[in-house]
Amino acid sequence: MSSLILDTCTRAAFHTMWVFSLFMLFSGHNAPGGGFVGGLIAGAALVLRYAGHGTDHVRRVLPVAPELLLGTGIVFAAGTGATAWLAGGQFLQSGIAKLHLAVLGEVKLPSVLVFDVGVYLVVVGLVLALLETLGRQDPQ
Amino acid sequence: MSVLVPLPVAVSLLGAAVSLALHGRVRLQRALGLAVCIVATGTAVALLTIVQREGVVATQAGGWPAPFGITLVVDGFAAIMVTISTLMLLGCLVYAFGQLDAERERLYFHPVYLVLQAGVCLSFLTGDLFNLFVAFEVMLIASYVLLVLGGSQEQVGSGMTYVVINLLASTLFVSGVGLVYAATGSVNMADLVGRLAELPPNLRGGLGLLFLVVFGVKAALFPLFFWLPDSYPAAPTAVAAVFAGLLTKVGVYAVMRTQTLLFPGDGGPSTLILGVAGATMFVGVLGAIAQSDIKRILSFHIISQIGYMIMGLGLYTLAGLAAGIFYIVHHIVVKTALFLVAGLVERAEGTDALGRLGGFARRAPLVGALFMLPALSLAGLPPLSGFVAKLALVREGLALDRVVIVGVGLLVSLFTLFSMTKVWQRVFWGMGPSPEAVPPGARHGQATAPIAGGSRVRPPATMLGATAALVALSLVIAATAGPLYTITERAAADMLDTTDYLRAVLGG
Amino acid sequence: MLLALLALHVAVALAAPTVAGRAGRWVFAFCGLAPAAVVVWASGRAGGILAGRAVEETLRWVPALDLAVTLRVDGFSLLMIALVSGVGVLIFAYSWSYFEPRPDLGRFAAALTGFAGAMLGVVVADNLFVLYVFWELTSITSYLLIGFEDDKEEARGAALQALLVTVAGGLAMLAGFVLIGSAAGTYSLSQVLAEPPTGTAVGIGLLLVLLGAFTKSAQVPFHSWLPGAMVAPTPVSAYLHSATMVKAGVYLVARLAPAFGAVVFWRPLVVGVGVATMLVGGWRALRQFDLKLLLAFGTVSQLGFMMALLGAGTPEATFAGVVLLLAHGAFKCALFLVVGIVDHEAGTRDLRRLSGLRHALPITFAVAVVAGASMAGLPPLLGFVAKELAYDGLLADAHQLGLAPLAGAVAGSVLTFGYTARFLWGGFASPVDVRAGAPPHAHRPSAAFLAPAVTLAAVTVVLGALPGLADGLSAAAATALQEHHEPPHLALWHGVTPALWLSVLTVVAGVALFATRGRVEALQERVGGLPGAQEAYDRAVDGLQRLSEGLTGVVQNGSLPVYLAVILLTAAVLPGGAVLLGGSLASPPPLAESWAQVVVTVGILVASVATVMMRRRFAAVLMLGSVGYGVALLFVLQGAPDLALTQFLIETLSVILFVLVLRHLPDRFSHHRWRLGQALRWVVAVGVGVFMFGFALMAGTARTRQPISRYFLENSLPEAGGHNVVNVILVDFRGLDTLGEITVLVVAALGVASLVRASRRGEPAGP
Repeated sequence: MSSLILDTCTRAAFHTMWVFSLFMLFSGHNAPGGGFVGGLIAGAALVLRYAGHGTDHVRRVLPVAPELLLGTGIVFAAGTGATAWLAGGQFLQSGIAKLHLAVLGEVKLPSVLVFDVGVYLVVVGLVLALLETLGRQDPQ
Repeated sequence: MSVLVPLPVAVSLLGAAVSLALHGRVRLQRALGLAVCIVATGTAVALLTIVQREGVVATQAGGWPAPFGITLVVDGFAAIMVTISTLMLLGCLVYAFGQLDAERERLYFHPVYLVLQAGVCLSFLTGDLFNLFVAFEVMLIASYVLLVLGGSQEQVGSGMTYVVINLLASTLFVSGVGLVYAATGSVNMADLVGRLAELPPNLRGGLGLLFLVVFGVKAALFPLFFWLPDSYPAAPTAVAAVFAGLLTKVGVYAVMRTQTLLFPGDGGPSTLILGVAGATMFVGVLGAIAQSDIKRILSFHIISQIGYMIMGLGLYTLAGLAAGIFYIVHHIVVKTALFLVAGLVERAEGTDALGRLGGFARRAPLVGALFMLPALSLAGLPPLSGFVAKLALVREGLALDRVVIVGVGLLVSLFTLFSMTKVWQRVFWGMGPSPEAVPPGARHGQATAPIAGGSRVRPPATMLGATAALVALSLVIAATAGPLYTITERAAADMLDTTDYLRAVLGG
Repeated sequence: MLLALLALHVAVALAAPTVAGRAGRWVFAFCGLAPAAVVVWASGRAGGILAGRAVEETLRWVPALDLAVTLRVDGFSLLMIALVSGVGVLIFAYSWSYFEPRPDLGRFAAALTGFAGAMLGVVVADNLFVLYVFWELTSITSYLLIGFEDDKEEARGAALQALLVTVAGGLAMLAGFVLIGSAAGTYSLSQVLAEPPTGTAVGIGLLLVLLGAFTKSAQVPFHSWLPGAMVAPTPVSAYLHSATMVKAGVYLVARLAPAFGAVVFWRPLVVGVGVATMLVGGWRALRQFDLKLLLAFGTVSQLGFMMALLGAGTPEATFAGVVLLLAHGAFKCALFLVVGIVDHEAGTRDLRRLSGLRHALPITFAVAVVAGASMAGLPPLLGFVAKELAYDGLLADAHQLGLAPLAGAVAGSVLTFGYTARFLWGGFASPVDVRAGAPPHAHRPSAAFLAPAVTLAAVTVVLGALPGLADGLSAAAATALQEHHEPPHLALWHGVTPALWLSVLTVVAGVALFATRGRVEALQERVGGLPGAQEAYDRAVDGLQRLSEGLTGVVQNGSLPVYLAVILLTAAVLPGGAVLLGGSLASPPPLAESWAQVVVTVGILVASVATVMMRRRFAAVLMLGSVGYGVALLFVLQGAPDLALTQFLIETLSVILFVLVLRHLPDRFSHHRWRLGQALRWVVAVGVGVFMFGFALMAGTARTRQPISRYFLENSLPEAGGHNVVNVILVDFRGLDTLGEITVLVVAALGVASLVRASRRGEPAGP
């Protein structure tokens, strides 16, 4: 059913959108964007893929159970808050962790970014879950 | 000791997340859920004792000072509510182990249940009006899912009413928050106390009434209660019991919190609220009398009983509010227990229709006793917890010369007894229905008719144990009513005099 | 110790089912220990109590509500304890013989023991609320005992009626207690009586308390539950419904009467109701065929007598009432036990079928004659002593009460003589009425079965012949009620007094009544009973049921549009009214800041209206999406690219998801026959819209202080380290909100998944 042109276009757009969504996620703190918008863009990419090829294909390009994405998202978001709390701060208090990575040297990791990643994961997981459930029920 | 304040919410959310990741491994999910509920309950009890010792305790989420961040705050009222709610959630979870079929339990019951707990706790703990909206959303979305869990035709149908009406209420709620922000520029409740007081009286009054309506829908007040009896009975029992015990009471909490803290009126008894209370009691109990299924009867009684709680608010004195709070505590335990008993009956007999039941006390005498005690307590008969609660209301009502509402309250008490004896006589007494008494179109078509004087019924230990524990708790409430009442009085005092609350939240 | 004795009743009751499981009928011996312990305790303390030193005990419960388990035993309480626990022991002994072994004896024994404890509580409670607690506990245990044979429809109905009537009265009484107690400033019964409060509230409170007492003691017009309660096993009828529980109302009135007798309505009301009850009960007793029902109406009658005497509140009448209380407890209980034996041994209680039992059951007959003679007021029995005293008392009080009560008492006593004769003659002596079937064959009762009844009859005889034995107790009881009055000594022979002549008159008239019983019965056939009491109850219950169904049918009509309309209208009218009344708009803000805003807004409005007008679902979804895009445009115009982008994406995804769902739905909306007319819908919609618009306008212009958003703008970069304020608010300032909202998203996803999976179950597995 899917045409070659559509297929090629969606394939190209799909990857671009993923990259763009990640960009939105990571730049969100200082420029328009953030985990929510980023997640929605990634979700739109999945929808596009679905429109071209159906649920099974979506499953192939993102072979993760939606439950895992959703659960991990909340763990990230709530975990950030809990970590601050365990470290003696207020629940959900923000902070910046400095990580020493072998190749990149010192990397600043604001806790709000981890929180935002959680948001991103939840939104992607939501779209994935809806496509898998609502989308799978093909009337044909 | 404010460090413990976010714990019931945080642990429930994290627990939900992990439980979700454990999808499909029911045993682990059970253990996790149990652990989370125990931690939440323990924290709640700790908070309750802290508040008794230190007064109102607040913490600022994210470390941003009030009114800019989101404040979590525990005063006596909130601590009482969190404690009793987490206890109920713990009890119903244990009950659910025995009651839910494997399919339903696998379908996300555990994560969603913990989310419900997070929402309920956050509703009590938050000191921020918008965050209260969020908490309600968390709680409601979880309740939507639990309500239609398993998705039988009946569940989805009645879930529809619930979802649509609650969405409408949520829309009104968020509109109200928007209006409050437009008028005052803040959403922190403690901060709003001063800001709202500066508004013109008509605007403040209008906002107060809007929130009364919004939370009135959640609390099932007259004339906004329609959704309740049409939706609760369809849910699986463990879920219905939580809903019956807790969810409307979150609405009542919100009504009492906002009407005392944000819209205190002129400080005297409110004829409007007392009128609403009376109508809620009366229409609710008449609804119950008209029903012929246990869970529907119990659902209408929820409405009726909420009238008593609101009566405490309407009296608007220390004793009145204390009585109202005591009533809430009593009611949550008793009503949850009654639903659990209904579940035991339904499980054994395959139906909760009065016309198809009978002689159950002979086959399960313990279950009979477990019904009798909370049923009488619900009707306010002594020496049970409901009596103490009702006595407190009657005393204060008469002390304020509010004769009509006291009269309605006592009459409704009698009607409640009438309705509960109807259940008792048709379900627990008698010899079971004769075959021709069974209506051909009975709701649960697959149910087998009970055998008259049949063998003894033995429910699973988890279900029976949880039910018995709740009934025992209601007896403990009655026995220790003295100290408990002191706690509710302190809570009421903090609601009337908000100095402590404001100091804890805003500092200074 | 008293508290421990009450606890003992509870413990024994709780253990009873287990004990019955092992010991069968011996459970009654076990349960009898509880009242026996009370009897032992009371005998030990009797000396001090009779000398006027009351025993008191207190247990704190809810101090804030003046709720404390305060117990107090004075002379009157002691007399009541003699009835409650003394008779209680006999009843448990009797039950051992009465019941065949059956599996549910445990719950019967438990309820009976519970009742004994509750009734003990009633007569020793000093705190008004605790009195109410025990009062209602007797109602509940009575309910369980009347309904013991719960497979009988009749038993269930009678149990319910007794419960509802007494609890209704009890609730009124509770309100009355609150009124009286708050006026008195104390909820201690003894303190209230020591310094009785006055005022309108107290008057109303007394009326409410009397309502409770009248329902409990089966006074006209609330008496009809008592005969109904006779479906209970005989030990219950003898114990609860003649000797003890039904006297609770009389007990309370006796306590209150000396203090409140002077209240203007008290005497006419209480004495009037009492006398009326005495006459109605006696009259109805004369037409019964069931021996038990006959006795039940007799009890109603006697309760009326006691109510009149003790309610009068004068020293003489009070003393007479106290003695009657004691006498009645003995003779009526004995008679019930006799009926139980007859029923048990002969298999029927119908006096038309019974015949010649005086030969078959000689001892039983002897007991019946003695107890009956006492009831009829014949010397030398305690009943006679009591009645003499009553006549004396009413004569002495005639200046206060008038002669009507005396006349009523005499008439009632005549009726009592009549139905007693009917009882003895019909039950034991009359030739069989062949129309009612062959007479049954009677067995001889065992000695154990007879013993309790014989004991009670013996008490009647001994105390009648040697009334001095009861002198101390009855005098102490009367003194407890009427502090400053020295009661007379009990005596069988008072000399030739007017009271004696009245007694003679009573007997003569009674004999005449019995002699002409044929004509009396014919008269009763024509007159009928008191109209209404039972019918009123039935109609009230029926009416309540019908009212409920009618109202609920209207309110809970199952139509979602109606529900929504009611909620919306409430939301618009209630706050809207408050805002619009007494509000004025100082300076309305500009409605728009640019033409672009106007254009977009009009677009949104058009799309909104179009959404609800569309007949096809897909078109409606598109229109809804347009509304969302319009809002996104407004965000752009306001300079909020983040929000706009988010809104665009959400709208797009929503429309796509809608489409996924719409594949499974019909193309067009179905045409319901709406319950709510189209016009009304418009009214609701427009009304709510106007309300929200006006409200927002008002709210927006009312702001006086800095909004908190300024803090966000100022602190986003320096404190939170982010340029994008919107994002900083989301993830930092108000991260908790975001955490909540993503949780909502997660659960929403789970909800959809669980529903879809559930609906897919049972369908054939897909590819």
